[in-house]
Amino acid sequence: MLRGAGLVGVFGLLSACQLVEFSPNQAYVPAQERGLNGQALARLQTAPNPDDTVRFVFVGDTQRFYDETEEFVASVNQQRSIDFVLIGGDISDFGLTREFRWVHQRLRLLDAPYLTVIGNHDLVGNGRAVYREVYGPLNYTFRYQGTHFICLDTNGREYGFNQQVPDVQWLQQQLADTAGTRQTIVVGHVPPTDEDFDPLVVPRYTAALRDCAGLVFHLGAHIHRFTVGQPYHDGVTYLTTYSLQKKRYHILTVWGQRKFRLETVTYGVEG
Amino acid sequence: MGWRGKSWLLGLLLELLVVGAHAQPARAQTATQAAGPFFLTLHLAGGTGVVALGGGYRLAQQRLEPELLLGYVPRRISGSKPLAIITLKATYLPWTPELGRSSWQASPVTLGAMVNYTTGQQFFLTNNSAGNYRPGYYWWSSAVRLGLLAGTRLSYAGPCRQPTAAYAELSTNDLHLVSALTNHSLRLVDILTLGGGFKQGF
Repeated sequence: MLRGAGLVGVFGLLSACQLVEFSPNQAYVPAQERGLNGQALARLQTAPNPDDTVRFVFVGDTQRFYDETEEFVASVNQQRSIDFVLIGGDISDFGLTREFRWVHQRLRLLDAPYLTVIGNHDLVGNGRAVYREVYGPLNYTFRYQGTHFICLDTNGREYGFNQQVPDVQWLQQQLADTAGTRQTIVVGHVPPTDEDFDPLVVPRYTAALRDCAGLVFHLGAHIHRFTVGQPYHDGVTYLTTYSLQKKRYHILTVWGQRKFRLETVTYGVEG
Repeated sequence: MGWRGKSWLLGLLLELLVVGAHAQPARAQTATQAAGPFFLTLHLAGGTGVVALGGGYRLAQQRLEPELLLGYVPRRISGSKPLAIITLKATYLPWTPELGRSSWQASPVTLGAMVNYTTGQQFFLTNNSAGNYRPGYYWWSSAVRLGLLAGTRLSYAGPCRQPTAAYAELSTNDLHLVSALTNHSLRLVDILTLGGGFKQGF
């Protein structure tokens, strides 16, 4: 019995330091590294925030930018009153287990909890299973200070444009669930204006957003640069953020009724 | 360790492999002379499955061991359907001194290379074969991994007994290596994977 426990202990230690890996595609990670979105949300809900203002960092595409991720963490930790950090997908480059772990080893040093939405690179190979193990459900929502955040998988190309992704029916259900919601923010890695978004889903997706009276904006990443506008001329603002490699990130502050402020932070740029 | 340190190690590893493949010294045939050229392998971890079974054939005065392994990753570890990993691996033993007059032999350093294929619909052989992407959308194969290995082994062969070897090795794969070479903050230990097992000659 004791011997068995010892073996489990040794195994746990070895897998914690990553040396023991059965496949670079395995979803299995040590228990403390599972369900990280859920862990972050639990932490977020215990953090008291006296007013209705939500202030969060938004950046995309940490994929294989480990050095830059360390600089990013150092910069974000200097910001005051950040409620949480939102990573807009492409956490990994190859969808490999160890990439997710390397990113988490750096982002867990953020003072604020961090949340992620799945990107197309995270779905490569067995990445879908890895993401689900490490971060949790691919579509999820949370409410913070009366703002409803809806995070979903918009990487249609990874599913061969099967018209199922993003799941518009699920999105509509979440948008309709307005109890305790003053305003709503929708987050997906691939924006509907991009060729990697399922073209046959674009009309239903954008219509669902248009019909949501309390929508502040739609957040995306994927294209590695900042864009903001109303491409469908329907009053819905679509915003995309920088990739982490650009050494820039956004701080979004939302309050009141669909009021928001966008700040851009540049860090670690030499010269 | 920065990328300079890692590329130095990689260079050494490749050089040893190339030099080793050409060197054909006539020594070190004493204890293993009786050994048959075939062997069976039981391999654990090392990125080729929880457990992998296979076998191979010894070449070049027992110094080169090409082998084929079939590895298994159960659902509990894969998080999806169980995975099968087919690995073609070659291990080179540059130096295998006998330990005194005993039946024991040690190979302080073994070097190797491998290529493996992971089964499953979620993996693509190439970006183009997947059918969903324009050329170059993803530059790598998610199904095929290339790996380099360095390890150590201890083997025992009695007078009327085929050799049994126990080995342990550290490996890395192409994508982990690419990650480390493009990031100072990833250390060598971050990209290493431990594996080991037994080989029984027959």
